[in-house]
Amino acid sequence: MRQRRAGDLKVVIAALAVAVAALVSVMTFADRLQRALKFQGSELLAADLVVRSSYPAKSEWTAEISRLGLQSAQTVSFRSVVMHGEDSQLAEVKAVEQGYPLRGRLRVAADLNREDASATGIPPMGTVWVDGQLIALLNTTVGARVELGTQQFVIDKVITLEPDRGGAVFAIAPRLMLNIADLPSTELIQPGSLASYRLLIAGDVSVINTFREWMRKRAEVGVVLQDASNAQPRFRTALHKGEQFLGLATLVSMLLAGVAISRAARNYAQRHLDTVALMRCVGATQRNILEVFMTQFLVLGTAGSIIGCAVGYATQQVFVYLLPGLVAGDLPWPSLMPAVVGLSAGVVTLVGFAAPIILRLREVPPLRVLRRELGALPNHITAVYVTSMLTLAALVMWVGRDLVLASYVLGGSLMTIILLAALSYLLIQLVSRMRCGVGVTWRFGIAALARRAGSSTGQIVALGIGVMAILLLTLVRGDLLQAWRTQLPPETPNHFLINIQPDQLTEIERFFREQQWPKPHLRPIVRARLIAINGKSVQPQDFQDAFAQRVIQRAANLSWMESLQSDNKLVAGNWWRTQERASPLVSVEQQYAEALELKLGDRLKYRIADQEITVTISNLRAVAWDSFRPNFFLLVPPALLNGYPASYITSLYVPRSRAHQLSALIKQFPNVTNIDVDALLQQVRRLIDRVNSVLETIFLFTVLAGIVVLYAAIQTTQGERRQEIAILRTLGATRRQLSIGMVSEFVVMGILAGGVGAVAAMITGYAISEYLLSIPYRLHIGTWLVGVGAAVTIVTAAGILGTYRLWRTPPWHILR
Amino acid sequence: MTPDAIVQAEALTKQVPSPEGVLTILDGVSMSVRRGETLAVVGVSGSGKSTLLGLLAGLDVPTAGRVILHGTDLSQVNEDERARVRAGRVGFVFQNFQLLPSLTAIENVMLPLELTGRPRAEKEARSGLTRVGLADRTAHYPSQLSGGEQQRVAIARAFATNPQILFADEPTGNLDEKTGGRIIDLLFDLNRERDTTLILVTHDREIGIRCDRRLELSAGRLLGALN
Repeated sequence: MRQRRAGDLKVVIAALAVAVAALVSVMTFADRLQRALKFQGSELLAADLVVRSSYPAKSEWTAEISRLGLQSAQTVSFRSVVMHGEDSQLAEVKAVEQGYPLRGRLRVAADLNREDASATGIPPMGTVWVDGQLIALLNTTVGARVELGTQQFVIDKVITLEPDRGGAVFAIAPRLMLNIADLPSTELIQPGSLASYRLLIAGDVSVINTFREWMRKRAEVGVVLQDASNAQPRFRTALHKGEQFLGLATLVSMLLAGVAISRAARNYAQRHLDTVALMRCVGATQRNILEVFMTQFLVLGTAGSIIGCAVGYATQQVFVYLLPGLVAGDLPWPSLMPAVVGLSAGVVTLVGFAAPIILRLREVPPLRVLRRELGALPNHITAVYVTSMLTLAALVMWVGRDLVLASYVLGGSLMTIILLAALSYLLIQLVSRMRCGVGVTWRFGIAALARRAGSSTGQIVALGIGVMAILLLTLVRGDLLQAWRTQLPPETPNHFLINIQPDQLTEIERFFREQQWPKPHLRPIVRARLIAINGKSVQPQDFQDAFAQRVIQRAANLSWMESLQSDNKLVAGNWWRTQERASPLVSVEQQYAEALELKLGDRLKYRIADQEITVTISNLRAVAWDSFRPNFFLLVPPALLNGYPASYITSLYVPRSRAHQLSALIKQFPNVTNIDVDALLQQVRRLIDRVNSVLETIFLFTVLAGIVVLYAAIQTTQGERRQEIAILRTLGATRRQLSIGMVSEFVVMGILAGGVGAVAAMITGYAISEYLLSIPYRLHIGTWLVGVGAAVTIVTAAGILGTYRLWRTPPWHILR
Repeated sequence: MTPDAIVQAEALTKQVPSPEGVLTILDGVSMSVRRGETLAVVGVSGSGKSTLLGLLAGLDVPTAGRVILHGTDLSQVNEDERARVRAGRVGFVFQNFQLLPSLTAIENVMLPLELTGRPRAEKEARSGLTRVGLADRTAHYPSQLSGGEQQRVAIARAFATNPQILFADEPTGNLDEKTGGRIIDLLFDLNRERDTTLILVTHDREIGIRCDRRLELSAGRLLGALN
């Protein structure tokens, strides 16, 4: 411990502090944003937790909610006919209690086509708020009276955005919202009425969890608990992708940390070889040596990690101030978790990446005091690579909890290491041959790489990983996000037409032609209820999963298709062949299959009207729900359901300015229901944009951390360079000569590390986008060129920054 | 500056911060060395000998006073210009050899030649190594050479550019008596052959006696010339 004052150890602490600071700041910021995003997920539910039931909330539930100090509001939804003079229309009625929505905002306008604003409450008694479609269908206006059940109401406002409406987008008729206190007077809710009761709950996460557990233990029949994580698939996909990107950022910062620690440990061990030899000389055993250095390293590691945690927290806070408005409202407070993980990860990373190097110190022979060349560290210690990879894998599993992502990151890193090591070796061979053919400064610079063959390889590998990380997080990520964003191009369908009858298909197509709209993709729907799996009848309470319970409670939409749509991808099994057009097969969406624990070959029995049909699962599909095209959990071969009652659905894009064309369509085909998803689409776009800027922010920070680690990697050879520079200075080398020599060395190193790092980043990026995120990804040669250019610039800049000070230091200070 | 002086120091003072306050290592030292002269700076450990050598060679900067080397006032120029003053005209031999560990013996000797743009650097370096008796060791790395051999490489490097002045800092400090003796002989022989000015720092009075003139330092002050 007496060596603590030595300058070397400050470098070790600093390297670890930088690495842990990067980790903790990214983790803390990511954690806060993730919680904020979850919160926004809550907006889509209008609550943090929803208890859905087919009967009103029991008084015990509300009593428990009050006891726990949570907020709550009830809603009741059902379908009913709304009358306006001669006109009548089936509407989706929702009665809401004061306080609704608990999360997110309900937006209303004073009239059709007027500016909307956040609603400040719920419809006053005696009034209703309706959506624009209902006004159009009833040929009415704001201020008019409509009849609902036995009661009359005044239309007070037009609803433009309802946060929790997305959940039932395919099932809804136009919306009518009223005050829950008015509900009894309508006399619409009678015993046995088909109404859906939702108890919205909001509050502190831990208290919500307490309540969730309390509810779960009661195991009430016909009750489904829903939170942001099992909100509708579209948003779940967006949230999940966001989390995966964030996970990637965290992983890469950990990898960078490991690389920095490994370099620092090596440097540390190198500097302590003489001390160890001397200790051995005066009688220290191998065990003593190990104890001394491991203890020292662990104490330093903990100190460095603590500093790193503090710096990390401070940095992410600065970061929050620098970037206001990333998420709506305030970010949640930082939790202690990142610090705990950061501290532990710091120590674990330190041990994993440094221990094999420190262990080597045991083997330094005492004879080194006389012969300094003895006991030098070998250039490559296999154990270092093995434990580093294992540690990283463990950390990834622990922090990231994502095996697939982990294997891609590890695979990419391993590939980079092998590629870099092989290429470095080749270059060194090449340079050795050129050793006499170039001028002194270039010769000195380029040859410096070759002369330090072993350490150069190690350094290039470290730099290459840094370059890969940076490229992966900037250029490749940019491509990925671009690909994600372009999944919702400007002409994404914003209207769904449902309930089209088979005999209307030709006329509908003609109507589309007349309006010069693209030919509609009309998808058939047959309503079916799942009654048995593999011969065993199923009930909602057989499943824990809320989604599974819902699926069984409700009728499913069976559709059929000749071939796969572009936004569907087969993940298991085979698509049906021509001769199987009428076979009893079914293609099941992946999440649906997971929720119901289904596998290929399982038999599903459905009831359609008064008939039953059993189908066998022949394949599983992944569906890009965010394409906004009609998609289905269940698909059957095209001729299987001939003769069953079907209706059709299609989606189309109609600009706001041409909405009158749609009115004409509805007039001509009054049974067809038009669902306007424009507001929802905007909501999804906003969410994607917000997640996007969050990611860009975090990645920018990880990139900065990467640059710091690159700088640290170059710094670790500073001891060697100090000596070289001092001797060259003594012999009369000018700054120009020194700089050309150094720059040439860094440029060559940058080209090599940048080139291979770029290739590795692109391949890893391709693998991640193709197999993990299911986003199409195109390789751009420009990415590669920019990558190499940037790598050369960064490596050279970091290298010069790291050594520049030495050029100005009087050589005597170093030589003595 | 004295007309035939190659290096001259005026009221040189060097102070460094220390936990006990400011430590004065050199205290107002003035001296001058003539072209072709051999000078020994002697004194006990910590008397400031090496610090004086570093300042005379422009490897360090004084707290006060000035050094004029080859007619250039080193305190008036920057680090880069001080390097230019040294290039090709000043040679060094250090106690701990200061060879670049990643270069072979011949590459170490070639360095000063290449830095000053001399043609045929390799040929000259080879002949230099032959002169110090290491013709068969040219491709060896410093770690493959004994201490005496390493110091020979350092001497070959120091004389490679035929410098006008050579600074030697305890050149035998890391060697046994016998090897040290041979190294000193080699140093003086080459010095005589090339007519180089030699400034040698040593605590060994025997070596000091072989020089034309000796200066003794004690606690950073010049005690005076010893004859």
